[in-house]
Amino acid sequence: MIARAAVLALLLGAGGAAAQPLGWSADEVRVVLRHGPWPPPMARDPSNRVSGNRDAIALGERLFFEPRLSQGGQLFCASCHVPYRAWQDGRTRARGLAEVDRNTPSVLNVRLQRWFGWDGAGDSLWAQSLRPILDAREMGASAAQVAALMREDAEYACRYRKSFGTAPATDDADVLVAVGKALAAFQETLASGRSAFDDFRDAIERGEREALERYPRAAQRGLRIFVGKGACNVCHLGPAFTNGEFHDVGVPFFIRGGVDPGRHGGIRRLQASAYNLLGRHNDDQSGAAATRTKHVALEHRNFGEFKVPGLRNVALTAPYMHNGSLATLADVVRHYSELNVERLHADGEAILKPLRLSSQESVDLVAFLESLTERKSALDERRAALPCSR
Amino acid sequence: MRAAAVLIALTVLGTARAADLPVFDAHVHYSHDAWESLPPKDAIALLRKAGLKRALVSSSGDDGQQRLYAEAPELVLPSLRPYRSRGEISTWVRDDSVPSYLEERLKKFRYVALGEFHLYGADADLAVPRRLVQLAKQHALYLHAHSDVDAVERIFRQDPGARVLWAHSGFERPEKVREMLRKHRNLWCDLAFRSEHGAGGKVPAEWRAAFLEFPERFMVGTDTFTPERWHYIVEHAQWSRQWLADLPAEVAERIAWKNGEAVFGGMLRR
Repeated sequence: MIARAAVLALLLGAGGAAAQPLGWSADEVRVVLRHGPWPPPMARDPSNRVSGNRDAIALGERLFFEPRLSQGGQLFCASCHVPYRAWQDGRTRARGLAEVDRNTPSVLNVRLQRWFGWDGAGDSLWAQSLRPILDAREMGASAAQVAALMREDAEYACRYRKSFGTAPATDDADVLVAVGKALAAFQETLASGRSAFDDFRDAIERGEREALERYPRAAQRGLRIFVGKGACNVCHLGPAFTNGEFHDVGVPFFIRGGVDPGRHGGIRRLQASAYNLLGRHNDDQSGAAATRTKHVALEHRNFGEFKVPGLRNVALTAPYMHNGSLATLADVVRHYSELNVERLHADGEAILKPLRLSSQESVDLVAFLESLTERKSALDERRAALPCSR
Repeated sequence: MRAAAVLIALTVLGTARAADLPVFDAHVHYSHDAWESLPPKDAIALLRKAGLKRALVSSSGDDGQQRLYAEAPELVLPSLRPYRSRGEISTWVRDDSVPSYLEERLKKFRYVALGEFHLYGADADLAVPRRLVQLAKQHALYLHAHSDVDAVERIFRQDPGARVLWAHSGFERPEKVREMLRKHRNLWCDLAFRSEHGAGGKVPAEWRAAFLEFPERFMVGTDTFTPERWHYIVEHAQWSRQWLADLPAEVAERIAWKNGEAVFGGMLRR
């Protein structure tokens, strides 16, 4: 107790006890600080030669809202990744040309991911951006259709040349990949804004007592459960609140006509993909970007595992889990509170135990999750683009 | 040149045979949530689709594998778990009602084993697990133990004649598994829910040494611990055939099905 008070005094200066109403321990403070700062610095994707390129970002933004990338010209990336819905669709399961088996994840902060999609079948954002374009249930287009658009539409042809330094190639697959890279360059700019939690976290770091007190007590109590009793931060770690890996958290994964193999199927698809980082489309000459793809191993435990989602803006992205089976954050908290251990292997997810939260603790944990919502968007207003000029 | 041709022919033959290997799946569960979503007829169809010769099946509660056994007695070898529901995994060792439950089921039905049960360390010497070991001896049944080394040792101290199928081989390193196999001649090992012995269709040296030293003591298993994993049985059998193809054909055959058949196959005919 004396040690705890000493830590607080060091962190907060005189009068620290009043600024730390919940009496945080040094360990708790250290763990909370690891969830920031926000936003993290921008880093280029070495596998994408137009990552961070302004012309490519502008091209990618245009493509993100381009219906001619779909079969029939009715759908575009933003049909599911809807900007005003936190870049997801609010549906239980995504619907493109047909309904698919998984929930649409938000693409906010997507650049911070290591694997892409619920099953991690994409090892780069540009490869992942191609998947819905080609998937018959989503946009249902082809490399030939995409390449023809880039070659035949003067505006796109101009923007393509400005971004990549050459006219669209004769090889359809090369043009398709370039489109994926432009889409990725745009999506890398989609970062969420700062939240109440970020202000609290930075106030701890800077020892700003008044700022600390602006963070609601319920959210503080929920945060302590998150990093303490709940151990949620074991998987939801770091500034993006995810370890970027895959787990079976006891959510059933039956789908119409069978099961969704999750990560197991994702690894298989990744290894079979012509667009993975081991292939010729990877722009990283050092080979470093492909290291994790080279070493990914297929294991029985991967069957039914799904990616740990980041939690920033989580209150805006209902419904939840890989199949959208939980409608609210309260349902998600209840899932972990009453976890069905019968669904977990005795030697599988050893960290998972029912949290047995009281109703007040559940409310507090939800309050903390809600405090991860951005106060205002970090994105620039979309402005009408001027026609491309050579 | 001729020798090389013969070698190539043998390799091709070996690979082809491995691809067609029947499989004895030593680790299947068919618990209450499985039979609700996958009726016995459909479950048996999946086992057949996987090319299984037989399956050692246990369930929580016990009705599941009895339903399967009734559907396909030539395919299903029932094992009795000390769980009436899977929620009893960690409580059964101190649950005084478990022995009478087991005795009652043993009177009514035929089994080849007791298990799979979860038992670790000194818990093996508690009264309920002790009674389980006694019942296995009394009824000449195998024990399918999801246990650490300590619990396996305690079981053998209680009954040196016990016959134990070590689930997941205790998630131990192959060197330790070999040590245990050398020490206990009535110990067999299932390889369920572990992947490192056959990742990418290749058997690493340390596991190859174990399989070649004890070709008659290993079995494969899927471990269908959730209903969804029944849909993995086919893929698991295929995966097993792939890594088994990296072993000498005779060893592959033993691990794929002959060991399971030799250990359990004749038990229900007694």
